[in-house]
Order: sequence, then C-alpha cells, then structure tokens
Amino acid sequence: MRALAAAAVGLAAALALVLVLTAIGTPGGETSPKPLLTTVPAHP
Amino acid sequence: MRRKASLVLLAFAVFFTALSPLMRWYAFPRLAKIPPSQYQTMVLEAKPATLIDYGTMKAKKVPKVSIVETLKGNVAASDRIEKTAGRDVVVWDTLTHVADPEGKMVSQIPERYIFDAHSQEPVHATGEMVDGDQVRRDGIEYKWPFLTEKRDYAYFDAQTRTSAPIHYRGTRTFHGLEVYYFEQTIPWTKVPLPKKMPVKGITPESVEKMGTTRWYTTKRMFWVDPVTGAPVNGEEVHKEELRGGQLLPGGGKVTAFAGDVKMRPDYVESTVALVKSQRTLVLLLTSYLPWGFLVLGAVLLAFSLRLEARSRRPRGDGEAHDAASAPESGPGTREIVSGSP
Repeated sequence: MRALAAAAVGLAAALALVLVLTAIGTPGGETSPKPLLTTVPAHP
Repeated sequence: MRRKASLVLLAFAVFFTALSPLMRWYAFPRLAKIPPSQYQTMVLEAKPATLIDYGTMKAKKVPKVSIVETLKGNVAASDRIEKTAGRDVVVWDTLTHVADPEGKMVSQIPERYIFDAHSQEPVHATGEMVDGDQVRRDGIEYKWPFLTEKRDYAYFDAQTRTSAPIHYRGTRTFHGLEVYYFEQTIPWTKVPLPKKMPVKGITPESVEKMGTTRWYTTKRMFWVDPVTGAPVNGEEVHKEELRGGQLLPGGGKVTAFAGDVKMRPDYVESTVALVKSQRTLVLLLTSYLPWGFLVLGAVLLAFSLRLEARSRRPRGDGEAHDAASAPESGPGTREIVSGSP
C-alpha cells in the first residue's frame, strides 16, 4: 500500500509539474519597433 | 530508515518515468512555438542578374540585384486572432524589397502570413494577404514545422497566390548540420503586377490597360533543419517576363527580371548559428530530457528495489536484523510485495 502511495505521489508530481510548465507557457513579448527594411543592410 | 528511502526512491522513479512521455507528447507541442514577436531579416542576392529598363522596354544585364526580406511578428494582431482561433497564432507582416545595384527599388511586395505557432498550419483570418490581395494559404511558407518529415509539403507561392507541392529530395550536410533538401518548380504562370512599380507614372492598372501581362517561373530550393523546421539556406532560379500588349507589340516579350538568387553568405552564417542554438532547445524537449528521465527513472527504480530487497533479507543476516528491528519494516515489507506488480 505504501509503495502504491509513493508511486501515486510521484505520478501526481510529474503531472502537476508539466501542467504548471505548460500553463505558464512562453512569453508573448511585444511587436518589434524595428521597421520593415527598404534598404540593403550591411550585416545581419 | 532503509524502507523509507526505498519508498522515496520509488516515488522519484515514477516521477521521472512519467515525466518522460509527458515531456515529449504533452509539453513539447505546447511549449515549442514560434514567438509572436519575432523579427528577422534576410538578404538574398542574384549576381549577375537581368532587369528590365522601363525607359527602353529592353532587358539589361546588371552586376547584382538584392532582395531584402523582413519578417515582423505582429503581437497585437496575433492576440486578437487567438481569441477566435482558440490556439496560439503567429502573425507575420513581411516585406520583400527588391533593389537594383544602386539600391533603387525594383519592386516591393508586402504580405501578411497567419499560422499556428506550433504546427505551422495556416490560420485563415481577416488581413491574410499578398500585396494587398486577399489570399487563402493552404500550405506552409518561409518555415517548415518542428520535426520536419521526409515528405512533400504544400508550399505557398506568393507570386501566383497558390500552393503547390515542394518535394523532399533527400538529406544533405550543410555547415555541419544534417538538413533536408526540398525543391519546387513553378512553371510559367501569368501573375499580377506588383502594386508598387519602380517608375513614376507606371501603375499595374496602366500596364494592364495596354494589354501587357507579367509571367513568372521559378525553381525554389530550401535546405531545412529537420529539428526546428527552419531553412538554413535558400536559392531560387527566378525568371519574370512582360508579354504582349501595346508595350510589346506583335506578341513580343521581354525579361523583367532573371537571376540565380542565393542567400548572402553572412546571412547564411547567422542563420546557421541561430538554428544551431534553437535546435538544442527543441532536442531538449523531444529527445534529451525524455530519454534522460526514462533512464533516470529506471536507475532509481533499480536502487529502490535493491534497498527493499536488502531490507527483507532473512534473520541471521546483520543488515536484515537491523532492518527488522526498525519499527516500520515488518508490515511494510508485506505491503511492498502486495503493492508490487
């Protein structure tokens, strides 16, 4: 029974971690103020 | 004490083993996404090239034509579209600016490309366009999906405003990366004139009124990193002609632009460097972490079982005696047996 409980704790922790990570997601950021280029840049 | 340790190890073994598939099949599709705020530039060159001289309506050789492409993520537009699309969306406002050797504008074509941030699948929303013309993309453009497959994809051609297959032609090595090589040929097709023409007074409408039409063909080649789906090199053998009408009487035709367009070497270097850094992050989610967690889980499970086995050695053995003397060891041993598969 204790082994089952330990396994359940491990499984729940893994699920919780992944759910939290995906819920936080990746930052959206803001639209770049840089223009759409109409001249040839000298370097990248 | 040993029993507690084995239970803790078991919990960690299950934690890491469960994390392995969760990371690959749950977290990866939700975390690996094109950022909506991306800003990227690219310069391609055709050396030499053929350009039309609108004064004489004749083709002339020039040493170089540069094509500057800018991709700019429009965060406000993607936020707005996401509300109705129900998924993460990226909106790229792009400009393809073609310049002659003196830097004068030859043509400018703006686009709005809307797509799913993970799968690269096109998303159809108001504002999707090429050079002001509303379009409905069926295929990918600019970038392939993460974990690109060895198969043909539908690729959107901005000149013809249609999608056509881009064929997988094998695996190549490019700057130390194993890449997939794709090729697409667009046969001679009548296409619209760019809204922005290089000569004042000449508009697409005025050219069309004279009955002159624009035709185009291209062979498009991409070398794509299959992990990130990002092209690390691109090339186009591109030809455009103006045909017929009052400008070219008697069914005449003239080359408007022709050249073998290749990525400028410094942009190839910076793109390869960017892709190499990004592919590590993708591999972390799809390979390194899932396999690492799986191995770690197996090792922890082995340690847990070993500890448990040592705690259950028969009396007479010193360690078993110690374990048996621990208050929680007796009943727990039976429980582990009954709880084990």
